Amino acid sequence: MSNVQNAPRSIQRKMSTFLSAGRFPWYNIDGKPVEPFIIGMAGGSASGKTSVSTRIIRSLGVPWVILLSMDSFYKPLTPEQVAAAHRNEYDFDHPNAFDYEALHQTLLNLKKGIKVDVPIYDFATHNRLDKSQTVYGANVVVFEGIFALYDKSVRDLMDLKIFVDTDADIRLARRLKRDIAERGRDIRGVLDQYRKFVKPAFDEHIYPTMKYADVIIPRGLDNVAAIDVITKHLARQLNDRGLSLKVALSNINVKKELPSILRTLKPTNELKALLTIIRDRTTSRHDFIFYAERLSRIIVERGLAELPFGNADVITPIGSIYKGVIWKEQVCGVSVIRSGATMERGLRSVVKDIPIGKILIQTDPSTGEPQLHYCKLPSDISQRYVLISDAQIATGAAALMAIRVILDHDVPQDRIIFLSLIAAPLGLHTIANAFPSVRVVTAEVDQELDDQGHVVPGFGNFGDRYFGTY
Amino acid sequence: MVILEQTSELKALMSIIRSKDTQRSDFIFYSDRIIRLLVEEALNHLPFVEKTVTTPMGAPYKGLAFKGSICGVSIMRAGEAMEQGLRDCCRSVRIGKILIQRDEETAKPQLYYAKLPPDISERFCLLLDPMLATGGSANKAIEVLLSHGVSEEQVIFVNLICSPEGIEKVLHVSAIRS
Repeated sequence: MSNVQNAPRSIQRKMSTFLSAGRFPWYNIDGKPVEPFIIGMAGGSASGKTSVSTRIIRSLGVPWVILLSMDSFYKPLTPEQVAAAHRNEYDFDHPNAFDYEALHQTLLNLKKGIKVDVPIYDFATHNRLDKSQTVYGANVVVFEGIFALYDKSVRDLMDLKIFVDTDADIRLARRLKRDIAERGRDIRGVLDQYRKFVKPAFDEHIYPTMKYADVIIPRGLDNVAAIDVITKHLARQLNDRGLSLKVALSNINVKKELPSILRTLKPTNELKALLTIIRDRTTSRHDFIFYAERLSRIIVERGLAELPFGNADVITPIGSIYKGVIWKEQVCGVSVIRSGATMERGLRSVVKDIPIGKILIQTDPSTGEPQLHYCKLPSDISQRYVLISDAQIATGAAALMAIRVILDHDVPQDRIIFLSLIAAPLGLHTIANAFPSVRVVTAEVDQELDDQGHVVPGFGNFGDRYFGTY
Repeated sequence: MVILEQTSELKALMSIIRSKDTQRSDFIFYSDRIIRLLVEEALNHLPFVEKTVTTPMGAPYKGLAFKGSICGVSIMRAGEAMEQGLRDCCRSVRIGKILIQRDEETAKPQLYYAKLPPDISERFCLLLDPMLATGGSANKAIEVLLSHGVSEEQVIFVNLICSPEGIEKVLHVSAIRS
């Protein structure tokens, strides 16, 4: 189980996805996700499935690729089976050794674009660890394992099925080398296991699945021509799915009236005065930060008023009953880095110990498309209301991506409240069009966007002014 | 008199501070949250002037600016609990103090101590007291302000809860309650 990326240096971190290249929109203008491309890679033990997968991924040059190993889906063993395993008598090469139900569910959710928790199998105890690895955000999923093509329901989820057909002698030679040199086993035990389990499993169960493959690669990694052909085919397929939100955004119908998802603050003189200071280009950084935080806090309070409440009577210290209300739901924040992070202080000052997730979205300068670079969210986010914060909503492209990420983590639309200091009508319509049940809280709506998609009059680059990076 | 918008949110905050079972740390935290909302609302009742500024985008924005200066005056002791909320919104705000105690014999409120900014007559005064009950001490405090040259229009009385009787007594000044 790993994320493979194509930067010069491979960065793999447990429990978080960090890839140096951003993820382009994986959903259309209506917010509907496009399914990732799923490749199944089967073949005998030590046939070179992992090497071939990695080679294809690298030459493809697409970021946000997940390499999923069937090893994660071994069934947990009973104490008797564990004892048998330690005596080398448990058959790990049999199709029944795998949990196809969990495997199917995981691949299905990956296909839907939903966050998945991949079990971590511990070969020392032959059981799953209590924790699991969270995987989210794949454009391509490569699933490899000896029985990758064995189960029909799993096969049906695949867009491309590959069988790596490496000669049995070579596989045995590799296995001997790996198990003896790297795993310190003795030659007798390895040969014993090969004769007893590995060879029969291949002949009876693995080899027959070759007929389901779309492509068969003889000789594994050495077959440069075959890998090249597959890579080119994949590149073409992925290209055909290419999504350009920027073009689609310009087709959004900006009606005169603002969408009903919008909750603006009461337009008081005080609010106007705060906005005047924040918008003024001559305002010092000191004042800018102070007044931005003051305004943020007001917006956060307004956002929290959107949560559901239940009745609750309380007894006051003088012994009488007050018909009050209480919050019914848990809440968390998600800030869109950088400028959304400026609202975190407001969030923390009103909701003690609020969990705050982060999403990094950057606009790709060459295409103008938003790209997801990083996302780290509270693990129980699906049980909470989510306040997403960003300084402004301009075209709505970043907001759409941020909301899509939250939806992909099993949070329903009506539990998402988007907070921003100012917003432009285009962005509001973009959000309303894709996600009509999401609510947006903002202080003021600016009427225009300039050619570059900046809000006018706006307040300039909020993050730069707040963090002093101009 | 201006009452804060009665949202469920505000009601939930009030439920916490009214409950006898609320811990002190929560009482302080949630009181502060309401006080902050009150102060923001109170500041909204100050005079503003129109002001057009230029944004970093180079575009004009027709906005507003605060006009005139303010000060806080807290009625000791409880009113001091509201000072932090005011300071959080208005850095380096001047704060005066008034101590009023009930005379045991006459049951009338008695002024014990007042320390106010010297230029208070030129400022708008946010008079701070969390609770307005009979209005006795509030009226006394307002009397003190008036005797320092502050006009009634300059006084904004800020409190968390108040009784109809108390409002009746001080209705000649603008009061804000939740």
